[in-house]
Amino acid sequence: MAEWLRTFRQGIAIENPLTVLMIGLCATLAVSTLVQGALFMGLAVVFVLTMSNIIIAVFRSVIPHEVRIPVFIVVIASFVTIVDLTMHAFLPEIYQFLGIWIPLIVVNCLILGRAEAFAYHNRVSLAIADGLGMGIGYWLVIVALAMIRELLGTGRIVMFERTLIALPAGYAPPGLVLLFPGAFIIFGLMIAASRWLGERTERRKERC
Amino acid sequence: MAKSLRLVIAVVVTCVVAATGLALAYGATKDRIADQERRAEQESLAAVLPEADSFEPVAEDVLAAAQDAAGDADCSAIYEALDSSGALIGWGLRVSGRGYGGPINVVLGLDSTGKVTGVTILSMSETPGLGTKVQSEPWFLEQFTELPAAFATEDVRALDSISGSTKSSRGVRAAVEGAGRVYAEVLQARAGGEQ
Repeated sequence: MAEWLRTFRQGIAIENPLTVLMIGLCATLAVSTLVQGALFMGLAVVFVLTMSNIIIAVFRSVIPHEVRIPVFIVVIASFVTIVDLTMHAFLPEIYQFLGIWIPLIVVNCLILGRAEAFAYHNRVSLAIADGLGMGIGYWLVIVALAMIRELLGTGRIVMFERTLIALPAGYAPPGLVLLFPGAFIIFGLMIAASRWLGERTERRKERC
Repeated sequence: MAKSLRLVIAVVVTCVVAATGLALAYGATKDRIADQERRAEQESLAAVLPEADSFEPVAEDVLAAAQDAAGDADCSAIYEALDSSGALIGWGLRVSGRGYGGPINVVLGLDSTGKVTGVTILSMSETPGLGTKVQSEPWFLEQFTELPAAFATEDVRALDSISGSTKSSRGVRAAVEGAGRVYAEVLQARAGGEQ
């Protein structure tokens, strides 16, 4: 159980896929302009990552080493297509916004990376912990990034046609925040902040 | 030999299982997806031609001629707008123009004189908050209804763009220009013929 929790926590903080491993950034920067979209993008990644980790860990002893990559890709692509069809049927507006980024989860190196580096060598329960941990780690960061970008870039955060927070009316949102350069700058600041927090807790531990 | 056979079997079994799963997922969502798309299009048509009672797709050959006339604006559907007595009052066209992030699909209503009754955006992949201003700033789409009847490309070019959304504005304008060509070359003659 302790090992399970450690693996789970690893993905959220110590080895966060976005701020520490820095994989799967392309889609993250592209869809983090709206909190609502980022929320479902994160959810899709959690689902695909956990499900493909489970399948690969269950069948790891029968998947031959030489053809493991094609098998991983087929498994991942199937789950992504299921997410794609489900979103298209039930959440048309969000599907519209996420567009090409949903099918592109297939080639997101985060998912294939975890299949190869973790699920293929570990038992199912740990693969679930890794999938959930990494997925939720991704989710938290992409939603946080989207909150900053939507608030600063449009002056308000809108979810399901309801305004959650709005900046004062006099605020003129800089368009840069919504474009890629703005995404890189804000994401860089987030990495710096998480490093600083990490080092501070490290130092506290040493003092104790 | 036995080794390579094992590799083949592993990949084939994976693909068969995956394909079965996908077929099931597709079957479960297919109707809903088609339904969503139909409803989105019907809603757009009703929004641009509020006076129409029903919409009928035009014949294949008319659509083919319209596609030639529209050129880059890719006219993918034309509906005849009928009032409650079944008389033709205009057309709903689905056209598209190239924006910044991909095609902007537009549904546009024309009355029988070729005047724009309304424009809505069916789908687009423009930058949220910048390119999407073509939808969120109402004056932009409304200005097309001020075009003269049977408008020409020059009339559309004279309209305003949104600063910061130049390419997105141009995409919507290109779609409207295409609709103008479709009216001039295909629909105008049909309006005369049936009156």
